[in-house]
Amino acid sequence: MTDAVRAVGLYKTYGRGSSAIVALDNVDLALPRGTVAALLGPSGSGKSTLIKALGFVSPAERGEVRFEDRVVVKDGVPLADLTRLRRQHLGFVFQKANLTSFLTARENVEIACELGNKRDGRRRARELLAYLDVVNREHSYPEMLSGGEQQRVAIARALANEPSLVLADEPTAALDSVRSRTVMELFRKVAHERNAAVLVVTHDHRALDVFDVIYEMEDGRITRAAGTQPQARIG
Amino acid sequence: MNLAARDVRRHLPRFVGTAAGLGLLLTVVIAMQGIYAGMVDDATILSRAMRADLWIVQRDTRGPFAESSRLDPSVEARAAVVPGVRGARPYTYQLLQREHRTGVLRIALVGIGWPDDTGRGLPLVHGRPLAQPHGEIIVDASLGLDLGETLTFAGEPYRIVGITRNALTSGGDSVAFITVADAQLVAYDQPPEATVLERARTVERLRLTDLGRGQPALEDLVTDPRWRPPALASPPLAAVLVTVDPHRLRDVQDILERWGDVTVYTQNEEEELLLGGVVERARMQIGLFTVILTVTAAVIVMMVIYNLTLEKTHDLAVLKLMGAPRSRLAGLVLQQAWMLGALGYLIAYVLGELAYPSFPRRVVITDTIRAIAPAATLVMVTLASLLGLRHVMRIDPARALEG
Repeated sequence: MTDAVRAVGLYKTYGRGSSAIVALDNVDLALPRGTVAALLGPSGSGKSTLIKALGFVSPAERGEVRFEDRVVVKDGVPLADLTRLRRQHLGFVFQKANLTSFLTARENVEIACELGNKRDGRRRARELLAYLDVVNREHSYPEMLSGGEQQRVAIARALANEPSLVLADEPTAALDSVRSRTVMELFRKVAHERNAAVLVVTHDHRALDVFDVIYEMEDGRITRAAGTQPQARIG
Repeated sequence: MNLAARDVRRHLPRFVGTAAGLGLLLTVVIAMQGIYAGMVDDATILSRAMRADLWIVQRDTRGPFAESSRLDPSVEARAAVVPGVRGARPYTYQLLQREHRTGVLRIALVGIGWPDDTGRGLPLVHGRPLAQPHGEIIVDASLGLDLGETLTFAGEPYRIVGITRNALTSGGDSVAFITVADAQLVAYDQPPEATVLERARTVERLRLTDLGRGQPALEDLVTDPRWRPPALASPPLAAVLVTVDPHRLRDVQDILERWGDVTVYTQNEEEELLLGGVVERARMQIGLFTVILTVTAAVIVMMVIYNLTLEKTHDLAVLKLMGAPRSRLAGLVLQQAWMLGALGYLIAYVLGELAYPSFPRRVVITDTIRAIAPAATLVMVTLASLLGLRHVMRIDPARALEG
């Protein structure tokens, strides 16, 4: 199975000198397409730093990130147009859905299609909203949607450009257990049906059974990898 | 998808409210320019309406509008015989304030040289020029008087026979036109008591002379009501307006300038005197107000745009994270500023059309103002959006991940 993304020897610190904190310490990780993975760990363990590095938002100082077998960041230096990569191949889902407040549900998905140069964005947006069972709220603004509906719209937006990789940062933090499970199952559905790699940062242990792989981080290292297809090197 | 339009649609009441505020400011800024243009127009319209090639005024004065000018009446006859002169007309100018109906009329009363000048060149909109040497008057519409109505000056009635439009002084006073003879009657009207006193003083002075003491019969002459005391000179003129053969203007001017008791101005020089002397200070003052108001409007727009952008920081960070190019996000801010400016200008335009005619001073929106005002608004809102643009450029997409 092709890796959507592979991180090799990622290392990153915050601060300088004696007060420097190691956020990522020689992290290796691979996410094949069609896999849904959970990333667990206490606050400050480096989960968000890792997701920023994998999402080409904040590169690591050392190590490399390969995207579909091509090195795109090496030792903090971009070797490709990262903005374009994000636009065309990555999808993001956030803790609080983070929908654009002045766009309707459909427009939130449509703008993602437009940024990814997808034709017929409106039709595609409606299809994705239907796929995630929220098309009946397509004309609603984010503030009119429930937390669960917002997350569905956010997932639809993340899928707008048929991404190879979906990165979700605590997407169920604001949801109750029933809705949390529903959202996690949606990620599984997305990974398996759309052949995307999905990495979900979560503190929620109630729905871990939906993941193919579970990584645990502590002090900037991946300390445990479990599941059917463990790809992480425990460092 | 136009993000700016979507954002405006979502926050329409606030956007329209802000645009209305900007519109009000622009209304005042444009009005300032219009008032200045009106002053310039008012300052020159009166002198242009007289259709004179040369203005002869009292020596070393800048009369008759900028300062008082007293010219001996003989200048009219002297000027008329200068070679190259087609015609010379007397001209008087005085400010009056009279109660009429329930209000107070402030009038710049101009005496024109009837019958050579009947007011045919004035901007008449109703009625006719003067048709007789006494008792008729042409007034400006801004006085709010009607044709056929009568005004009383120095105890004499004057019937309104013509109405002009925009015949105003640079000070904004409405102008009325009567014959020079009537104007002098108004200016030098003497009550009977003054005449009696003057006669008594003349008798006293006569008695102090050998002639008076030797010929007491002379006292009968000075007390005769038909007698005019020779001590009082003929009423002076404010100016003499001269028309000349076009190709001899320079020659005539040279001849007149050699006279020791007058100063001569061409029509252009007269207009420059009006604009330079009377309007210049107002221009500077209005210019200062315009700059202050424009800067105020720019600062307000800047803060509004900046705050609108600040409020969207998280949305913009998310869009950046999704791969939206900076130009797209900068476009959002710029387009919003332009929409604000366009709506503000539209509101200012409509408000101005409704309100300017009611202003106490004439507001003239010239073609230049019509062209410059929207362009200046566009430049102002573009500059005002720079702070917001700077903020957009500096937004870190990682902020979207911070929850």
